[in-house]
Amino acid sequence: MTAKKPDALRIGETHVQAVRDTFPGSVLDATWQAADQVTITVPTDMLPDVVEFLYYGRGGWLPNMVANDERPLHGCFALYYLLSMEESDKGFVVVRTEVDPLTMEYPSVTPRVPACVWSEREAFDMFGLRAVGLPDERRLVLPDDWPDNLYPLRKDAMDYRHRPAPTTDIEDYRFLYEGRAEETTQVPMGPLHITSDEPGHFRLFVDGEDIIDADYRLFYVHRGMEKVAEDRLSYDAVTFLADRICGICGNAHSIAYAESVEHAQGIEVPLRAQYIRSILLEVERLHSHLLNLGLVCHYCGFDTGFQHFFRIREKAMDLAVLLTGARKTYGLNLIGGVRRDILDDQKLATIKYVHELRDEVEALVDMLVSTANFESRTSGIGRLDPAIARDYSPVGPCVRGSGIGRDVRFDHPFDGYKFLVGMSARTHDGCDVQSRTLVRVEEFMDSLAMIEQWLDGAPEGPIQTEGWQYTPNRFALGYTEAPRGEDMHWSQTGDNQKCYRWRCKAATYSNWPILRYMLRGNTIADAAIIVGSMDPCYSCTDRVTVVDLNKKSSTVLTKNQLESYCRRRTHSPLAKKGW
Amino acid sequence: MTIVVAVLQAILLVALAPLFSGITRKIRAKMHSRKGTGILQDYYDLAKLMRRSEVREGGSGLVSRLMPPIFLGCFILIAAGLPIVMLACPIPILGDMITILYLMALPRFMFALASIDSASSYTAIGGIRELLVGVLIEPSLILVLFVMAIAVGSTDVGFMSAAVANLQATPLVAVVVAGVAFAMACYIEMGKLPFDMAEAEQEIQEGPLAAYSGPSLAMLKLGVSLKQLVVASLLVCIFLPFGSASSLAPLDIFIGFVVYVAKVLAVFLIASVIENSVMRVRYKILDRYTWFVMGIASLSLVFLVIGI
Repeated sequence: MTAKKPDALRIGETHVQAVRDTFPGSVLDATWQAADQVTITVPTDMLPDVVEFLYYGRGGWLPNMVANDERPLHGCFALYYLLSMEESDKGFVVVRTEVDPLTMEYPSVTPRVPACVWSEREAFDMFGLRAVGLPDERRLVLPDDWPDNLYPLRKDAMDYRHRPAPTTDIEDYRFLYEGRAEETTQVPMGPLHITSDEPGHFRLFVDGEDIIDADYRLFYVHRGMEKVAEDRLSYDAVTFLADRICGICGNAHSIAYAESVEHAQGIEVPLRAQYIRSILLEVERLHSHLLNLGLVCHYCGFDTGFQHFFRIREKAMDLAVLLTGARKTYGLNLIGGVRRDILDDQKLATIKYVHELRDEVEALVDMLVSTANFESRTSGIGRLDPAIARDYSPVGPCVRGSGIGRDVRFDHPFDGYKFLVGMSARTHDGCDVQSRTLVRVEEFMDSLAMIEQWLDGAPEGPIQTEGWQYTPNRFALGYTEAPRGEDMHWSQTGDNQKCYRWRCKAATYSNWPILRYMLRGNTIADAAIIVGSMDPCYSCTDRVTVVDLNKKSSTVLTKNQLESYCRRRTHSPLAKKGW
Repeated sequence: MTIVVAVLQAILLVALAPLFSGITRKIRAKMHSRKGTGILQDYYDLAKLMRRSEVREGGSGLVSRLMPPIFLGCFILIAAGLPIVMLACPIPILGDMITILYLMALPRFMFALASIDSASSYTAIGGIRELLVGVLIEPSLILVLFVMAIAVGSTDVGFMSAAVANLQATPLVAVVVAGVAFAMACYIEMGKLPFDMAEAEQEIQEGPLAAYSGPSLAMLKLGVSLKQLVVASLLVCIFLPFGSASSLAPLDIFIGFVVYVAKVLAVFLIASVIENSVMRVRYKILDRYTWFVMGIASLSLVFLVIGI
């Protein structure tokens, strides 16, 4: 990747040429942001054709679409359809188009490429850009009581601290039913459900216990991260904000963001830092996969397995403490490198942890698969049809459990993954919960092997680059394979040492739209494990606007009241109020 | 005199039920590699719930309110009638197998009725599942008790107990096979994992239990642990009555009681180990398990008929 290639053979060149040949005159402009990233600008009316051609015709997958308010730069809104080309000439092709700020409309790509559906709904919520022909125009991100004409991410819309008054007292989200049976009972699962410790409202349309269809409303926990990053933080502080996107895989976001800036600015990261980043990514995968394996047990009513996986998971957390100083792999990334080296004694201790983890997890997984009812609870449950997967571009173990070997680590090797020997993406073709679980088990073992390879192979040298030039208005992609799938960050620097636009796509964002198809035809008893087998991360997905949803609360406690109650455990502030 | 025994054993069982579920919780915690709560935790929980005020679901009616006391009351009645410490029923009319089966069916019926009364869809699903478990497992219970009734010539559980204790229940093979089937049926009836359909926490949020709070939840929780104890006792009384008092002498009664506690404890230990090493059965394939139990129960009938 680092080797100089002649211009004619740049990565993505064949795709651009193919678009030029198929749709003459469609490519207005093609620029390379990094060795493997090209952005082509197409006329708005050609957009669906070009995206569809690249997606189905050239083996592209669509992580997401980024909308951007570029009126201050050149007077238009812009849309960036990010395509990850994974068949031939692997790389990223970004299809850019400009949207007229007067009509605010563009032709929807969703009818041709269903994977765009969430991004296009979000573009309307955040920018008011209407996708003409979008089958589902409900709100996605903003709450039901958000004012109609306030589009938070427009540059001239609002201050990031602004909290508009709720416009309505009722939640009137329409859940869509696509089944054929006429009489169904609706079973609400959430917004708070006992097995998904984060808020998400699933509406199951059931007949008896059989799920005919399902719809869901998410984004209950927006934190306004993109808005905060654009308004308040300088671009080099966003790595630490990106850590906080997820409670599990924050490091993957942080690295993805840092690399998007590094790609855009052309910053070369020292080799040793690249190795350390990859090691930390895999440490994150270790504890994340153990978490999910434990949860699979829990959802099946096998709490013994759950507790034992969590006991072993503690070791993975200890490993994180050893390498980063905290149980979470937070706060390690800077633009241009990492903050902390791995010393020799830490290396030895890590290898020891890796051995222990391997032995214990092997034994525990043997126990799990031989537990009574494991087969019947997981095999054939929550089927993700490969055809549906092709349409919606899901990521991570979710898609790899359906026999499709999508994995950023091997499709677009970055950092230490470029130097791996004898590894490839793990797949299973059962398309069910069991396959997804087994993919995780194998990836866990692979992670251990990877960490060993990197610890042995890491070259000596600096861990940070310093003294680069900051160039305004450059944009690029950064990508990592988080435990749940690819994290894709698109960032553009502004002329004020801040992000002009930062769009982070968490892995689960790509996986939610397929959940409906996975739930169909199963029973209520399976719903929790199906949702769980996706290993969803709610707050990762929900990151855009801060909203106070507490509109119905009758008693509001102040923070002081609650704190003093926690300390003294007497004089409950809720006493005498009917609780 | 026997009526005193009946009252005493009913009180004892109610008093012991939380202890047994506390022990179960402790075993569970140990198997989880957790420290766990003390074995008296269930008493604390009940005491706390009794002090709490009660919140009712809007729109729920009389049935929901009556369900917890009826649920608990039925099992107290069964507890009073079982030949627990003696080899005969303290109150014969309560010890008849027909009475026992109906006393077990009534709470189930009320449970399902109350779940429909509630507004929550999870509650209704829980109620339907409870009925399903009942429909699938009750035939096996009835068949086994029928085999025993023919084997000893009486529908009185006390007679069965005495006959088995004196090894007079014939034919022997039929009785042993019936015992195996009954043990399995009891395990399913106890509502422990993998068969805790109606209260499956991860699937339907504890089903009907979610609709209760305060004292009625306490009653219901006590009722559920008493039910497990009563079902285990039923197994112990009919098929493992060895060591129970054959006379009303205080010493005999005392020994009978100690032996009974030891036997039930053993049953709970085994049940706990099973409970914590399996995954919940998918609700849809529950019938495979119950057919298996039914098969064994039918086998005992066959052995009874051919007389081995």
